[in-house]
Amino acid sequence: MMMVRKLKRRPLVLVVDDQEINRDLLGMILADEYEVAFAEHGEQALQILRERHQTVSLVLLDLMMPVMDGFEVLRQMREAPELARVPVIVLTADKSAELKALQMGAADFVTKPFDLPEVILARVARIVELAERREVILATERDPLTHLYTRSYFLEYVEQILASHPDYRMDAVVIDIERFHALNDLNGREYGDTVLRALAAAILEFLDSTDGIACRIEPDRFDIFCRHRDDYQAVLDHFEAKMTALSGRATVLLRMGVKPWREGVAPLVMFDRARVACNMLRGNAQTHLMVFDDEMHQREVYRQRLLNDLRPALEERQFIVYYQPKFNILCDPPRLSSSEALIRWKHPEFGMVSPGEFIPLFETHGCIHLIDDYVWKEAARQVAAWRDEFGVVVPASVNLSRSDLFDPTLRERLSQLVRDYDLEPRHLKLEVTESAYTDDPAQLAASLSALRALGFEIEMDDFGSGYSSLNMLSTLPIDVLKMDMKFIQNVGADKKSFRLVELIIDIARYLQVPVVAEGVETAEQISLLRSAGCKLVQGYYFSKPLPAEEFAKMIQKELVLEKETVS
Amino acid sequence: MTMQELYAAIGGDYAHAQRIMKLDKMIAKYLGKLVASGMDERLRAAGETLEPTEMFEAAHAMKGVCANLGLVALADAVGAVTEEFRPGATRQRSDAEVRALLDEVYALYQRVADGVAQYGEQS
Repeated sequence: MMMVRKLKRRPLVLVVDDQEINRDLLGMILADEYEVAFAEHGEQALQILRERHQTVSLVLLDLMMPVMDGFEVLRQMREAPELARVPVIVLTADKSAELKALQMGAADFVTKPFDLPEVILARVARIVELAERREVILATERDPLTHLYTRSYFLEYVEQILASHPDYRMDAVVIDIERFHALNDLNGREYGDTVLRALAAAILEFLDSTDGIACRIEPDRFDIFCRHRDDYQAVLDHFEAKMTALSGRATVLLRMGVKPWREGVAPLVMFDRARVACNMLRGNAQTHLMVFDDEMHQREVYRQRLLNDLRPALEERQFIVYYQPKFNILCDPPRLSSSEALIRWKHPEFGMVSPGEFIPLFETHGCIHLIDDYVWKEAARQVAAWRDEFGVVVPASVNLSRSDLFDPTLRERLSQLVRDYDLEPRHLKLEVTESAYTDDPAQLAASLSALRALGFEIEMDDFGSGYSSLNMLSTLPIDVLKMDMKFIQNVGADKKSFRLVELIIDIARYLQVPVVAEGVETAEQISLLRSAGCKLVQGYYFSKPLPAEEFAKMIQKELVLEKETVS
Repeated sequence: MTMQELYAAIGGDYAHAQRIMKLDKMIAKYLGKLVASGMDERLRAAGETLEPTEMFEAAHAMKGVCANLGLVALADAVGAVTEEFRPGATRQRSDAEVRALLDEVYALYQRVADGVAQYGEQS
């Protein structure tokens, strides 16, 4: 194995002395351990340093020289940041010059006449090593792009600030650039870097006016630890103004989350809470500042509990699948057509937890597939059980989350499931929310087409609740349109709403897709929907979502009704 | 003549030279460089007018090199010239005394040059 030492570049030492013999002697002493470059005077030395400052490890600098003396070299090196990192050992016989040189930034001195070569080598080695260590520290301490602290040093310095200034009231601030990846993709990485640098510069400018430190904790996220204040909106406005002034090329929106100082809360926790506040602003076009408060804290603790409890809850079957019937209202009397499988969580501590609380949470945290799998399997098992018990198949609709739609194993997972219970794919209807269309319409269409090719039926859920377009209806391969319940709620109250419902049903009819009206609660609504030609209805008018055993009674009734109708 | 004898003859510190340059041939090389450098000529030119800055720089340059080569007597003598003309310092010697000091330096320098030549002829 090749030794690292062999791979490592020999440090380059620049010897600056007007006397050739002195240069040669030092070169001879150093040659075994170092690469050596030479300059005859200060001006030449600075020229070499400017060209090769990244590779020069040390300067051995004579003080008394023609053209430019060593003191002037030290002065100019100190003023140029890229040269200031190169350590200097001065060569002098003059004791009084030593102090001045050290005060001007020299790291050490070598006396003239030269001492033992070993002494010179030892001094050179020590200073080179110290400088290399400093370089390593600097490289890891600061983010090279923004020159703000890196995460580990930032957290260390936060602790140091608290330890050395226990009386300081410090806030944790998190700043995030909204949709930075899109900004990068649309305008190029170089522009993205410019934005990051500009924001970092604005943060540093802010820190000039207060006590605090900052770091780039993630590619597009900045953490600030600063003295407590109440005017964060003004601070954010200032940062956003800087972003606006940067360029008219793109709009750069910031989000700021703040956890104000509270005695006894650890810095990491403070930043976690500031981050939570910041994340809550995601996609919020109106508000860009959120201050973490007690209510938010309680809510966050609750959400974290739900996340932690998910897997045990699945194992302990705390999740229960309810079934809400869908009726065909074009028959008289209306006939049970199918059901929608809806999940409920009977939490041992919190009681019934609304799916409106845990489903978005699990979606955000990438674990919704666990719930989906559970519901699919439970619904398939139940449909098969009813089939075996009553001799009829009452299909159930289950939800497909966005993450499912882009899962390459989705087709296989669902196919295997219906095979396991000896069902046909059409017995497990798949509901897709219309908002999935905004993510990647082409991919969505391809995914749905593949499922339909296997025999699954696709229901477009919540149609009209958000981003709806006729284009979506014409391009997506769907079998059923589920009209959002908001349309139904006012259908009896004003003519415009009813006209809108008629219009949606007309469009669906034109596309040869049946419509399910959701949220139907009154006989009047049923009557109006029937008159408009709506075939399927779901809602409290017929039944709330029912546990499986209750739903089974409904199937039994349906079978009795069917017998009576036939006889 | 050995290098050690040469150093004894010219008032040098052979042990110092050996510590720095290790080998006699390296010592000979750098002594040769000194003689060939014309360093004395700059001092002689400055000695004509005794212009302080030029005197200091010429003497300082020679002193530094001589000290590094272990030429103690020459370094001490030219060192005295350096201190006489150090910027900011008050002159301690008259011009005549300085010229006498310079003559001493020239003589020591000549001894070095002659010794180096003799050593070169023998080796």
